[in-house]
Amino acid sequence: MSPARRPADRLDADALELLRSIARRGSIARRLEDGAERAVLRSIVEATVALFDAEASSIALFDPGRNQLVFEVAAGEQGQGVIGLAIAPDQGIAGYVFTTGQPLALSEVERDARFGRGAAEATGYVPRSLVAVPLIDDSGSLGVLEVLDKRSSAAFSLRDIELASVFARQATVAIRASRVERDMASLLRGTLAALAAPAGTTDPPSAATPATVARIVELATRNLDGDDEGRLWAIVDRVARLRQADPDELDLLAEILEVVARRAERRASQRRRSGRARGVE
Amino acid sequence: MSDSDLPAWSEPFVGDRRSSLLRSRPLGSLDRAAVFDGADGAGVTVAIIDSGVERDHPAVGGKLVRSVVIEFDGDGEPTVRPDSEAIDVVGHGTACAGIIHGLAPAADLVSVRVLGPDNKGKGQIFAAGLEWAIADGATVANLSLSSRSEAMFPIFHDLADRAYFTNCLLVSAANNVQGASYPSLFASVVSVAAHDVADPWTWFYNPAPPVEFGAYGVDVEVAWKGGGHAVATGNSFAAPHIAGLAALIRGHYPEATPFEVKTILAATANQPG
Repeated sequence: MSPARRPADRLDADALELLRSIARRGSIARRLEDGAERAVLRSIVEATVALFDAEASSIALFDPGRNQLVFEVAAGEQGQGVIGLAIAPDQGIAGYVFTTGQPLALSEVERDARFGRGAAEATGYVPRSLVAVPLIDDSGSLGVLEVLDKRSSAAFSLRDIELASVFARQATVAIRASRVERDMASLLRGTLAALAAPAGTTDPPSAATPATVARIVELATRNLDGDDEGRLWAIVDRVARLRQADPDELDLLAEILEVVARRAERRASQRRRSGRARGVE
Repeated sequence: MSDSDLPAWSEPFVGDRRSSLLRSRPLGSLDRAAVFDGADGAGVTVAIIDSGVERDHPAVGGKLVRSVVIEFDGDGEPTVRPDSEAIDVVGHGTACAGIIHGLAPAADLVSVRVLGPDNKGKGQIFAAGLEWAIADGATVANLSLSSRSEAMFPIFHDLADRAYFTNCLLVSAANNVQGASYPSLFASVVSVAAHDVADPWTWFYNPAPPVEFGAYGVDVEVAWKGGGHAVATGNSFAAPHIAGLAALIRGHYPEATPFEVKTILAATANQPG
């Protein structure tokens, strides 16, 4: 029997390049991690509150580990109390909409002890009217978007349900995209482990030893943090920290970046022109 | 934001857009009075597959004759157990029951509660509830919910055929989110979306499937949990209006098949305008 080839020998240049690009994307995802998803969701509930002129808007996401719907983000004067609230996935209006996928609007719900009042009071705000739409796509239900109490009207209309559904679709797309990014790291680990497994083995990927995985990771990520890219990553890190910046600071940063980027583009094109000029001589 | 971004569920049935439903009917119009006068749904059983029905709610009028819960047993198989308390865990099923009872006061109501604590198997629980309702002899079944699981497609397809062939009419709320959902998209099912005319006796036929009927579903006064009431909007509340009308038709013509009930509903529908 011939000795098992070193796993790295089986990696051709294309595969290595592919792994590098996955590693790059995974690295970006890790650096931005939950913050990106949460920021998008927060901007969606803020836009929803503004559009409906509502007292509150919130998004609850299903947590399979806890088997609960957890309110992740909220906006509006009466919205903040709901963040962190966890309910059973079939409890109350949100649970119904999540479980059945049917959106609905309710108003003038009689104030009865059994109408999810405990949960509503825990948030510090009991609504007069609400609309709830599912965050749903072909892969299933992710959660629920709720809007509470339009200031201009005592009830939500059919059109309101349709509009809220458009926002819910944006949220669904954003969550799916960020989860794909977050899954990239585990995908990369799994791929590397599979590649590292000795040829012909039928064992699961975990059969690869840590040393062979480390060797492939080293190969795949070599040059990734070279001089140029290392500096780029430092910028990415700073951008990730800007989540705490206020709007004025962000505007200022955007202007600075714009100036620097234009200067860099100009210099690059000058270099290209002078290169061509030399070539003609 | 363009109109094409909006879900298409109720579009044909709302406001000016209704004019597109105007057509000359191949069978002409049926006289509504001849079909519905004196009809009260007697002898008909309507199953409400939902969050439960509150037996003591005044809007249900004491017509809830059976109530069951579908749950997973210890082996992960859906099982049926009687719900002696006859409760509604949300209020939604009671809302549907109240609408049906309001239209067909003599019809018997059966509650099949399919909202369980474990969300993962909801498609299986829902299917088991529908299967039970068909076997239990429901004449009409109101489904204000549907499943988006591709894995459930063949199961619901078989159940829709079984219902059709055993003379049980399935009335399903259209799902408003893009993409397929079952069984609301099947041809043998009466699929319903909401219109905004505040009248339970106004309904429209849409010759362009899959959503064939529009019924009152905007700002509907409904019964709710705890003996309460609410004003509700959604396809969920349009479907029971058509289920109630179907119960009246079946009460009047006990031999009518799902195909004939659908034809009568179309021939007695309001013409837009």
